[in-house]
Amino acid sequence: MAFPIAEEWFSRQGWQPHDFQQQCWKSITTGYSGLLNAPTGFGKTYAIWLGILESYFKKRQRKNGLHCLWITPLRALSKEIYNATTRVSDELGLDYYIGLRTGDTSAKERTQQKKNILHALITTPESMHLLLAQKGYYDFFKQLEFVVIDEWHELLGTKRAVLVELALSRLKSINPNLKIWGISATIGNLEEAKDVLLGIHPPKNKLIKATEQKQIEIETLLPKTLKKYPWAGHLGIQMLEEVMPVIERSNSTLAFTNTRSQCEIWYQRILQHSPHLAGAMALHHGSLSENIRLWVENALHEGILKLVVCTSSLDLGVDFRPVDTVVQIGSAKGVARFMQRAGRSGHQPGAVSNIYFLPTHSLEIIEGSAMRYAIAHKQMEQRIPYIRSFDVLVQYLTTLAVSDGFRKEDVYKEIIQTYSYASVTEEEFNWCIAFITKGGSTLDAYEEYHKVIIEDGLYKVPDRRIAMRHRLSIGVIVSDSVMQVKFLSGKRIGSIEEWFISRLKPGDAFWFAGRMLELVRVNGMTAQVKNTKSKKALLPSWQGSKMPLSSQLSQSIRHKLNEYHQKQKHDVELQALVPLFEEQERTSHVPKENELLIEKVQTKDGYHIFIFPFEGRNVHEGLAALVAYRIAQLYPISFSISVNDYGFELLSDQKIPLESALEKDLFATTNLFEDISKTVNLTEMAKRKFRDIAGIAGLVFNGYPGKQIKTKHLQASSQLFFSVFTDHDPQNLLLKQAYDEVMIFQMEEIRLREALHRIQKQTIVIKELERLSPFCFPIFAERLNTERLTNEKFEERVNRIIKQLEQS
Amino acid sequence: MDIVLNGITFQLLSQKAVYQADEELLIIADVHLGKARHFMRSGVNLTHKAQQSDYQNLAQLFFSYQPKKVYFLGDLFHSSINADWMHFENLINAFSAIEFTLIKGNHDLIPTSFFTRLNVNVINETLETEQFIFSHHPLSITTDKIVFCGHIHPAVRLQGKARQSVLLPCFHYSAPNFLLPSFGRLTGSYIIRQKRNEKVFIVVGNEVKML
Repeated sequence: MAFPIAEEWFSRQGWQPHDFQQQCWKSITTGYSGLLNAPTGFGKTYAIWLGILESYFKKRQRKNGLHCLWITPLRALSKEIYNATTRVSDELGLDYYIGLRTGDTSAKERTQQKKNILHALITTPESMHLLLAQKGYYDFFKQLEFVVIDEWHELLGTKRAVLVELALSRLKSINPNLKIWGISATIGNLEEAKDVLLGIHPPKNKLIKATEQKQIEIETLLPKTLKKYPWAGHLGIQMLEEVMPVIERSNSTLAFTNTRSQCEIWYQRILQHSPHLAGAMALHHGSLSENIRLWVENALHEGILKLVVCTSSLDLGVDFRPVDTVVQIGSAKGVARFMQRAGRSGHQPGAVSNIYFLPTHSLEIIEGSAMRYAIAHKQMEQRIPYIRSFDVLVQYLTTLAVSDGFRKEDVYKEIIQTYSYASVTEEEFNWCIAFITKGGSTLDAYEEYHKVIIEDGLYKVPDRRIAMRHRLSIGVIVSDSVMQVKFLSGKRIGSIEEWFISRLKPGDAFWFAGRMLELVRVNGMTAQVKNTKSKKALLPSWQGSKMPLSSQLSQSIRHKLNEYHQKQKHDVELQALVPLFEEQERTSHVPKENELLIEKVQTKDGYHIFIFPFEGRNVHEGLAALVAYRIAQLYPISFSISVNDYGFELLSDQKIPLESALEKDLFATTNLFEDISKTVNLTEMAKRKFRDIAGIAGLVFNGYPGKQIKTKHLQASSQLFFSVFTDHDPQNLLLKQAYDEVMIFQMEEIRLREALHRIQKQTIVIKELERLSPFCFPIFAERLNTERLTNEKFEERVNRIIKQLEQS
Repeated sequence: MDIVLNGITFQLLSQKAVYQADEELLIIADVHLGKARHFMRSGVNLTHKAQQSDYQNLAQLFFSYQPKKVYFLGDLFHSSINADWMHFENLINAFSAIEFTLIKGNHDLIPTSFFTRLNVNVINETLETEQFIFSHHPLSITTDKIVFCGHIHPAVRLQGKARQSVLLPCFHYSAPNFLLPSFGRLTGSYIIRQKRNEKVFIVVGNEVKML
């Protein structure tokens, strides 16, 4: 028997190993590192875990000490892995003990874990760094042979992946023979994902792809008559009647919404529509208290709930076997996210995942068909890794200084082996060192600055208070200033952004967690509430950036639009859209794949230009700013701008000299960066990015919920640091990072360039409209939303304008 | 710009201070000197160069208005004593003709004796005249007098087109309290939402404007 443990486990369960599982066992036992790409529900945990067990028990001499570290992005997942792996050890009677360490683990358990002989530890990236912030971590990790990063695709593209890279760089130098395995769902850049994981000089490695594939069945819920369906909107409530039968005939349904307020509204409306679901339905989003969320997750697991209305908070997490149907309300914005959500249903191996797409306005119907096309053609989004994140590096250096201290040369050698910091020069690294030892690169070395000091070449944090504050702020998830929402009894319901509560007076009612609550009083950072039956209630809107449509999905949409002009048989969605496209043809034009549509129209608001690159809202924001700036160079004119995922609008009170701007090469890629930096927004955007950077780099410390530490006298806003650095330390790398992040992640510079290149090859079709077309109306309506109205008011206003349009 | 409070004319200065010409009185709130150094000592990189502008701004203001009296409405120093005190000493000595008074704020931890040695008057509670009260905290009392105070660091957010917005420091009058913006460069701000019966004067560049 090649794999006695694995084979015994599989035969006990009555399973047959998949090909990819056997490949993993073989590679792991022969000393490879690698990345496993497999869909959920096919036993990817056992593919890796049993390989590690085989490798351990093959050895004649087994040393004491930690053998395997397993990292997951979520505490709930850590728990699930812990249960699954412990079951193997228990049932097979293996002398291999597993520990769990997350933010929830008590101090007592932690010290026990250190003393006891653990073979494996399951933890999160943040807790992994906390281990590095403890004295004696070297001994703890000395025998480590395996590190497994679960759900690597989920971490990649976030700064949490950078935390993983940094921790791995240290672990590799403690144990040069360390083997690293990642587990990832399918993404567009799997090879790169592996490179990021394994670093610049990778050990021998394999990329193992499971050939097993999950069957996904997509059905778009279509309105009974397209004519009555709104041209704009993002709630989708009009489709309630169409979606209820789906929920009723399913065993258990997850309904994904895009925002927390949309989630609250849908929950309410469904409850009003079908009161018999009370008790059988629940709500799940990131602002609800952990207790509530855990209850919902457990109830889903046990099959008690018929429906859960949720947000991306349930994208990840443990398997819910009873769930057989998923509804996506509104655009999922990306193919990978859509597939991941679809995969939350039909979790049994071989079962089909059923997902219903519910468009929130008529043009969005096309996304159902575009999605099917993208999945069939395997167009998956890439996860762009963060590189050169100096904020995380500065935090990490302080982490090492807090525990046993570090030597500069050693750490520099380690970090330039990572994908993220490979290009960091010695000079830049020295800047980081200067930042934590002297407070900056400014020459006036500051005796009073004592964050990190040098002792015999070893960088250390001598001050215990600074060390403690640092441990509390390890991590890269910076949360907004939120207020706890609690009942008078003290029971916590969740949290809401401070600015929303600050608008309420005691006695005001608002919707939260699916209940109507009345604000009783605000006490420090707690809002005390009670249940109410008030007639009027406000709806909190949580601030958060809107996801842009991914490049893959945009491309599929452009392709599907083109199909309208072709003679082939249309799919259901396109058929349903025919009346809308006919109206678009009457008022304007439906662009082919090689055309860029520009619409000009005059309303009482002024002169509008609508341009439709179909490239997602981020790229459109950049393009709009660029186009506005370039036109204003020719002719003094000012614009207001609005965007959506399909196009953007420039509005002015004067005639817009579009034609002469086009002659002057309006969409040229030359001087792109210069032209964009001249638009006012960039500094403002960088300032916003700097909020997170300042938090991660330890400039801003807000304390932690539940851990009330008096740091009032150390509070300063990130904006202050931003302006102080801009004035006095313009070479500050954190400042530069803020601008880089704006260009890469906000403006999506690469995509913007590609869009411009594509536009240059396209034929520009300009249409002068007499009235708004179905394409431009949603963008026109979007402008009304910029004042941050609640969704309902927004909807009302949109309806009013539609009425006006119908009358004219 | 000029405003009349209880029959007396006050100038609201774009330097974020108030000047009363008859009395030759300059009123300044929340300077938070020594803040950069305090942060540095606690391991937060706030370059002390930034604090230098506070001393320059104070000196410039004293120089151009040549006041007889200066009232600091509290939070003159951010925390306990540090090397910044030397700069403050130099400043006070350079303007020995001025009578300085500090009305203590919650941040003022430096012992009174340090100030009295420099001939700076220190008042622990509030300073009251016939028509006005000078205080660090806003007061919730009913009075015909007007309370000049600081502590809040008021500012307003003005929304523009295309999701642009600016944050501007402001003077804020809600009877009886007349709030001054914080003077110091390294201070944060609290966003005020203007209610009826309240007046807001924003500081835009070199001007003060009523909203």
